[in-house]
Amino acid sequence: MAATLVTVSIVIFLGVRLLPGNVIDIMFGGDATATPEAKAAAMKQLGLDGSYVSQYWRWVSGIFQGDMGNSLLSNRPISDIIKTALPITLELIILGLLIAVVIGIPLGVISAVKRNSASDYLSRIGGLIGISIPNFWLATLLLVFFSRVFHWVPPLSYVSFFEDPVQNLQEFFMPAISISVFTLAIVMRMVRATMLDVLNLDYVRTARAKGVPRRKVLRNHALRNALIPVVTVVGFEVGVLIGGAAIVEIIFGLPGVGYTLLNAISNRDYPVIQTATLIIAAVFVVANMAVDLIYGFLDPRISVS
Amino acid sequence: MSTASVTPAWEAVQRRRVIPQRWRNPIGIAGAVIVGFCILTALFGRFIWTLDPNAPVSDRLLGPSAAHPFGTDDLGRDTLARVIHGAQVSLQVGAVAISIALVAGTLIGLLAGYRGGVVDLMLMRVVDILFAFPGIVLAIVIAGLLGANRRNAMIAIGVIIVPAFARVVRAAVLEVMGFPFIESARALGGGGLRIMVRHLIPNIIAPLIVLTTVYFSTAILSEATLSFLGLGTQPPEAAWGNMLATSRSYIDQSIWMSIFPGLAIMIVVMGFNFLGDGLRDVLDPRVGGGVGDVVTKKIE
Repeated sequence: MAATLVTVSIVIFLGVRLLPGNVIDIMFGGDATATPEAKAAAMKQLGLDGSYVSQYWRWVSGIFQGDMGNSLLSNRPISDIIKTALPITLELIILGLLIAVVIGIPLGVISAVKRNSASDYLSRIGGLIGISIPNFWLATLLLVFFSRVFHWVPPLSYVSFFEDPVQNLQEFFMPAISISVFTLAIVMRMVRATMLDVLNLDYVRTARAKGVPRRKVLRNHALRNALIPVVTVVGFEVGVLIGGAAIVEIIFGLPGVGYTLLNAISNRDYPVIQTATLIIAAVFVVANMAVDLIYGFLDPRISVS
Repeated sequence: MSTASVTPAWEAVQRRRVIPQRWRNPIGIAGAVIVGFCILTALFGRFIWTLDPNAPVSDRLLGPSAAHPFGTDDLGRDTLARVIHGAQVSLQVGAVAISIALVAGTLIGLLAGYRGGVVDLMLMRVVDILFAFPGIVLAIVIAGLLGANRRNAMIAIGVIIVPAFARVVRAAVLEVMGFPFIESARALGGGGLRIMVRHLIPNIIAPLIVLTTVYFSTAILSEATLSFLGLGTQPPEAAWGNMLATSRSYIDQSIWMSIFPGLAIMIVVMGFNFLGDGLRDVLDPRVGGGVGDVVTKKIE
């Protein structure tokens, strides 16, 4: 994991520097009055002076010391920006995952157990729509629906969950639903498919033959094993959720990491772009690591190396 | 040589088995119909619905009517004409992005799988790094840094799809490499290039077709997302994503502006997903090797 993050950080570092167009020239735009001294000062402030190796070292060691440099735009320390933005994105991802799992798993089980019933067809069609609907469109539709039908719009200024849980959840439920739908559909399809596989296995029949009640067989024998591949998928899905979070944060005006990143991109705020991208990659890598651990816990045959 | 005698027989077997199966796949057919309709719309739609997508033709923010089936937008432009133009944009971006991913991914996968060893290790390391970023975030960063326009959006989307192609091609190549005909080709003096072109590529066509279809939907969705965020096709040119972005400012006055472009995206993405699922059943049930494929196989 550490090795991946190091390579990722090198790629981001080089990517930002090797792209066409000099950062300094872009910053000063067509400003002809900019003196070479001003440019050199800006280079220094950006940490763009010295060799690539020393620049990279300054950036990475800075991150470990909690000093990520300042934003070019607001001059705020980037560590401050990340400190307020990260919890928002994490909350969105966690809520999205929660919705997907809590609704997706039961739907998948029902679909598999009552195969070819009306509810099976309904959830399968719903699943196919779920993987095709763009999350930003769904977010817009939800906003329209709630404002038209219930004459209600979510509160505009962000409050943290710990300050005011009610207002916080009012703000978060629409974005969380918007990003969770894709994952929910994937989880549902996955659970249905693996349950169908598992239900045909010998040990399930054995358990039933021994007289274990159907519900208990489903819960203890079938579902537990059907969940293993689901966990892997959820690992991938964290990436989808992070991407979705980045987009709906903008729609709902939640100042999370994605919102920060997009703002930074449109303002060419390079230090922020660099660090926000690294943070997002880190969240993704850590989530996949966690999935590997859960995997080992669910299936003791798999050892985490 | 060895393949020449094997191929016709194998094809005959395939043909017998495949055709009835293909027709028993309603989802795949539905997908083919949707995709076909979308391609026809993109190619010929503007000749049938001849209103200018960029000129005001009526009052602003109208709802659907006979004259303007999808209504009009904030500047009085015909939404149907703009949706048709958006289809052109989506398919063009999708096709270019997929071509980038197809060429780069196949080359990387072929080289990694065929050469093995250090080459494999290094190439796959690069692919793993690309996988360490959530796809759409990577696309946002690349498109944003390169500059917001359609060409850069194509590049960005192509790049995020490369790793998927590279991995699948590599896995398929490794599988084919185990067959005796590769060894005999080598024994007959076939060089690396000849083996790759004559023996490996023809044997990995099936997974490539499926991947191309499935990832076309990803490409279209990504294009819409980038345009929505202002990082893809730039207004006033119509793209489904930027139409939805504009519509957000007029939600209170007309909901129709936000309905049709979104529907178009959803239907086309669904079409490619369906078609991909259907093709997978017909061509190669094992494509990708991931657990996700079990799903689509089971879902029929």
